[in-house]
Amino acid sequence: MTELRKRGLGAAVICSGPFLKLGQAQARVFGVPDLPMIVIPHPLGGISLGEVRSRAEVAIPKVVDLLKEFAR
Amino acid sequence: MSALAALLRNAGASIEATDDFEAINELYGERGWSDGLPIVPPTAERVERMLAYCDRPWDQPVATIAPRHGAATPLRLAANAVMAGCRPDYFPLVVLAIETLCVEKFNLYGIQATTHPCAPLIIINGPVAKELGINSGHNAFGSGTRSNAAIGRAVRLALLNIGGAIPGLGDMSTFGSPAKYSYCIAENEAASPWEPLHVERGFPADASTVTVIGAECPHNVNDHESITAEGILTTIAGTMTTTGSNDVLCWDQAEPLVVLGPEHAATVAGGGYSKADAKRFLFEHAQLPLSRFAERNVERILRKRYPDRFAGTAVDSLVPLAQSADKLIVIVLGGAGKHSAFIPTFGLTSSVTRALKLNDGRLAQSVKEFRRA
Repeated sequence: MTELRKRGLGAAVICSGPFLKLGQAQARVFGVPDLPMIVIPHPLGGISLGEVRSRAEVAIPKVVDLLKEFAR
Repeated sequence: MSALAALLRNAGASIEATDDFEAINELYGERGWSDGLPIVPPTAERVERMLAYCDRPWDQPVATIAPRHGAATPLRLAANAVMAGCRPDYFPLVVLAIETLCVEKFNLYGIQATTHPCAPLIIINGPVAKELGINSGHNAFGSGTRSNAAIGRAVRLALLNIGGAIPGLGDMSTFGSPAKYSYCIAENEAASPWEPLHVERGFPADASTVTVIGAECPHNVNDHESITAEGILTTIAGTMTTTGSNDVLCWDQAEPLVVLGPEHAATVAGGGYSKADAKRFLFEHAQLPLSRFAERNVERILRKRYPDRFAGTAVDSLVPLAQSADKLIVIVLGGAGKHSAFIPTFGLTSSVTRALKLNDGRLAQSVKEFRRA
């Protein structure tokens, strides 16, 4: 993601809450401290298809907002 | 001014502290610069004594340690080695272990940051193991030997302090592992009926090597009754076949480790088995039918990840623990007793072996060769 961002493309990390700090730290390490983080509810493993869908519903509006902002 | 004094003048290279053991440990604890146990204060004098066993530039990184990708210079590694309680002559192995862990195919980022409870297991082979008294016998995985304890702890402190493997931040392991304090052994080459690990991997017998494996803790295999190779290996294979290990769920990349106690190894070799034969037996017998796995793991992992092998196959189709027999790692370790061990791994990692070499590229015969005049 950091490489895509460095090349001028819209990119973000989608992660669950407990992994936010790790994601932010990695973004700093790879030189893109403002890399957007889209946080969805934990966990990702061991959930039903319905729960996967509900997480996608959380993420999709944020992805759309990000793309709009990027296109501006 | 000494070479070290000049390096310590760089910003952030050193701190001033009261010369008081308890106060320094309070400070290190508050700053998160420890594994939780007290450290030996890394004074300039102690760090310099450690660096006396480093024949390369003290300020040039030997690797960068994930996930922080911190620069592992000999200076920083020496500070961590002092903190861990290393004798200065252990230092060449600490440096080599860090270099080996940072080889890309080992996937140190994954091992450090994963929720899985793995830790780098450091296996020493060759004459340096004997020179430093690294325990390969009774209780080799346990406490009681300074070189095992301190070399393993130095590596762990470097992974924490340079690599940023801070629990809940850079180390997301669900509950961790006692192996994250220290995990360092030497293979018991003298008690092995077979070629040692480093020779099997193409190094000369008189080379000293470090092998790193992204490993769980050992799971014991008790067999006091079998008197044949097949009997011992059947018990080990039975212990290896578990449905929740990363090895079986990532079997096409896995390199699970089998540690044979010397008595078990002698029985297996006495049955005419080479190490390769033993691996073949274990590979063929340590396989699990799909029916033993939970339904969603079959449908969502095994059939999906490996469609060529399992899509639409019967529930008695067998899942191996590795892609082929030669992917299994077998070593001999320990003292008297009818025990062996299975050590599952992170799965998404490849073991790496490197030889102890001087800065000019020659194989080191002794750690004394690293000592600066």
